[in-house]
Amino acid sequence: MAESLSARNIVKHYGGVVALSDGNLEVQAREVVALIGANGSGKSTMSKVINGVVVLDGGQLLLDGNPVHFSSPQAAKKMGIATVFQELSLIPQMTVAENIWLTREPLNRTGAIDRKRLNARTEELLALFEGTFKARLHPDDPVASLPADEKQIIEVLKAISSDPWMLILDEATASLDSRQVQRLFELVKQWQEKGKAIVFVSHRMEEIFRIADKYSVLRNGKTVGAGRMSDINEKELVKLMIAKESVFGYTRGESKASKVEPEVCLEVQELRTDYLRGIDLRAHKGELVGIGGLRGQGQRDLLLSLFGDVPYLGIIKLFGRQTSFKHPREAMKNGIALVPGDRAREGLLYIRSILENLLLPSWRQYGFPLRMGKAKKDAAEAGAGLNLKMAGLQEPVSSLSGGNAQKVVIGKWLMRSPQVLLLDDPTKGVDVGTKAEFYVLLSRLCEEGKTILFYSSDDEELIGMCDRVVVLHDGLISTELSGSTLTKENLVAASLGVLNGGAQ
Amino acid sequence: MRRSHLNALAARHPALFALALLVISLLINVILQPNMFARDTLNSNMRVFLPSILLTAGQAIVILGGGIDISVGGIVSIVNTVLATRVGLDGSPEKMWQFVFISLAAGLLAGAINGFFIAYLRLQPIITTYATSFLYAGLALFILPNPGGGIPAQIAALYRDSTPLNLPLAFYIIAIIILIWLYISSTRYGKFLFAVGGRAEAAYETAVPVTLVQFSTYVISGLMSALAGIAITMLSGSGNADIGNPMTLNSITAVVIGGNAMSGGIGGVAGPLMGAITLGFIQNIVSFAHISTWWETFVKATIIVVALAAPGVINLFRSRRA
Repeated sequence: MAESLSARNIVKHYGGVVALSDGNLEVQAREVVALIGANGSGKSTMSKVINGVVVLDGGQLLLDGNPVHFSSPQAAKKMGIATVFQELSLIPQMTVAENIWLTREPLNRTGAIDRKRLNARTEELLALFEGTFKARLHPDDPVASLPADEKQIIEVLKAISSDPWMLILDEATASLDSRQVQRLFELVKQWQEKGKAIVFVSHRMEEIFRIADKYSVLRNGKTVGAGRMSDINEKELVKLMIAKESVFGYTRGESKASKVEPEVCLEVQELRTDYLRGIDLRAHKGELVGIGGLRGQGQRDLLLSLFGDVPYLGIIKLFGRQTSFKHPREAMKNGIALVPGDRAREGLLYIRSILENLLLPSWRQYGFPLRMGKAKKDAAEAGAGLNLKMAGLQEPVSSLSGGNAQKVVIGKWLMRSPQVLLLDDPTKGVDVGTKAEFYVLLSRLCEEGKTILFYSSDDEELIGMCDRVVVLHDGLISTELSGSTLTKENLVAASLGVLNGGAQ
Repeated sequence: MRRSHLNALAARHPALFALALLVISLLINVILQPNMFARDTLNSNMRVFLPSILLTAGQAIVILGGGIDISVGGIVSIVNTVLATRVGLDGSPEKMWQFVFISLAAGLLAGAINGFFIAYLRLQPIITTYATSFLYAGLALFILPNPGGGIPAQIAALYRDSTPLNLPLAFYIIAIIILIWLYISSTRYGKFLFAVGGRAEAAYETAVPVTLVQFSTYVISGLMSALAGIAITMLSGSGNADIGNPMTLNSITAVVIGGNAMSGGIGGVAGPLMGAITLGFIQNIVSFAHISTWWETFVKATIIVVALAAPGVINLFRSRRA
């Protein structure tokens, strides 16, 4: 087993875009190194250089002090470097066991795959995360049928199954709930004690401080700082990442729930779907209502049914008028907008231009033939209003970083000036700088009298932003937290279904 | 609840639908041709189906790997014209076997050319094999501009009339193909094939030799095309540069009926083989039903479209009721 890997002065460009100009990373066995940076700072590229997915254009990789060159993922794998990818490397059509052991299947004497041993070994690995799955997971289950968090866990198991000396976790916690993160971190500690090195790539400060021994910060493709976690605090770290302060710890100014009772905008009674088991909810005009809870407790279904995207039973009232949307089109007409959880798949047409994406819900307003001049002007204004960093409206959305892409999703709905905004984890995989801009934007929208339902997998965000948080557990609202009861302890307790920590 | 159960079953065994179609078309065929199971009738049916079956097996592998091969018919034509012109009606059996060997090599080479362009130069499979299909068909036309030539009658008879243990030769060949497939699909190569067809980028990141696997599917398809070419030459006993042309689309249709996803990664080989046999039965049904030749293509196509649309239509009605 190797003992150390160092990447020195790594350069990598894709076409004309420089992803890394001076990337550096030192990793020793028995260490957890956090690789930190805003979106588009080169973190993913850095991990792809180390694991051989991309070939570097300059700089040096040293394994135990000897120069190495990884021309393919195979080469890095042979050297004991495994990766948990951010964009999943699983093959949806294949089973859990086939995916985990792909290229390393146990064979019998005839050269055929030994299914018995394959399944037995898979069971052993699944046992590591025992109890965090929604239903018992079988080695023969097709990966396509699993929810995102379980896919992510399979990805982790796949990486660890090759018993690497170094494990790269690239945003591996982004789709996990707190219980699964907890289990993962326990395992990381065990692996660390067994002599493995772990590179932890994440946006979540709290997790970085929980798990990492050392940090290395990237900014615009350059390594701008590295050291021990014990020598730095959150504020300083963020400062390194974005080079402008006053971003983290954003709190909404003024008047949390101090106003006179405003008009009820949205009312939900006894809402039932395949996942929801009777939800009652009210949201006032200008209110920011948080939706909390572990991942996959029905939050997505709640937002989708309000948007007319899944069939439901129950009553939904908009400004006192009962509605029954059967198609998102009807919801849109009534001033509802949804920022979906999977922006790549549901929120955007990646290969089309920013302009087209922004105008997609609004083309109707521009008549026939389309008044392109006005459309372009409006889109440019929307982009400027969101501080969208782009080379031009004609550029494809795929050229944007995660945070900027999410701004396009929000922008396309704001152009319709909706009354109700449904947000499904909008800050997932978004850098801190952009997050801060979102917080300001959401506050402003509330002041303008919009109603916002805001699901987030980030507890801090819910506590900092929301007037009120309803916590979903197993398709029901387990608790509603507001004011002084809206604390981290209560939120976590309610998420786990522990009722005595709640308010009511 | 029952619906999701059925859907799960269909997802796990994509060939079930092909089996149902095969049984239905077989029943209709038996009604129209009551002596269907007599040894000679069965054999004369199966020997006509066999070239398509061989071609479909190769096509199924390519489509599983996420590609498509439109040049298979061209390869069949090359093999047919080479055999018909170089062996001749009065050629010796030794000469025949020698050229069978050369044909197989030619098929492998043609497949390797496709594979090189697609896997190593990363060209679009559909465009590449469309282009090479003209290359191969053109070559066949150059070898044999007008239909003619032939192979020795005793060799043709070997293919036409062999019925070991009173079963058509084709049955043994189908059994061999399926056995080989069962073995392949349980090896690493088999998993790689599904992985590459399922999601090539993910397979690459997992250190699957994606390029090599893609390349190999076209080589296999080339080999199967050559075998199909040999079979159809022995069946017809003569040469025709146009002979492979209609077989290409037939092989793709058979694969789709067989339950393989056109996007790759889902399905197998047994389903497509059933699809190929089903298409053969449909051809039979159309000719037995005394449909005028003008309508034949239309009727055949209608049956295929209906057969393909059936699962979707059934699902639609089921979800309406639910």
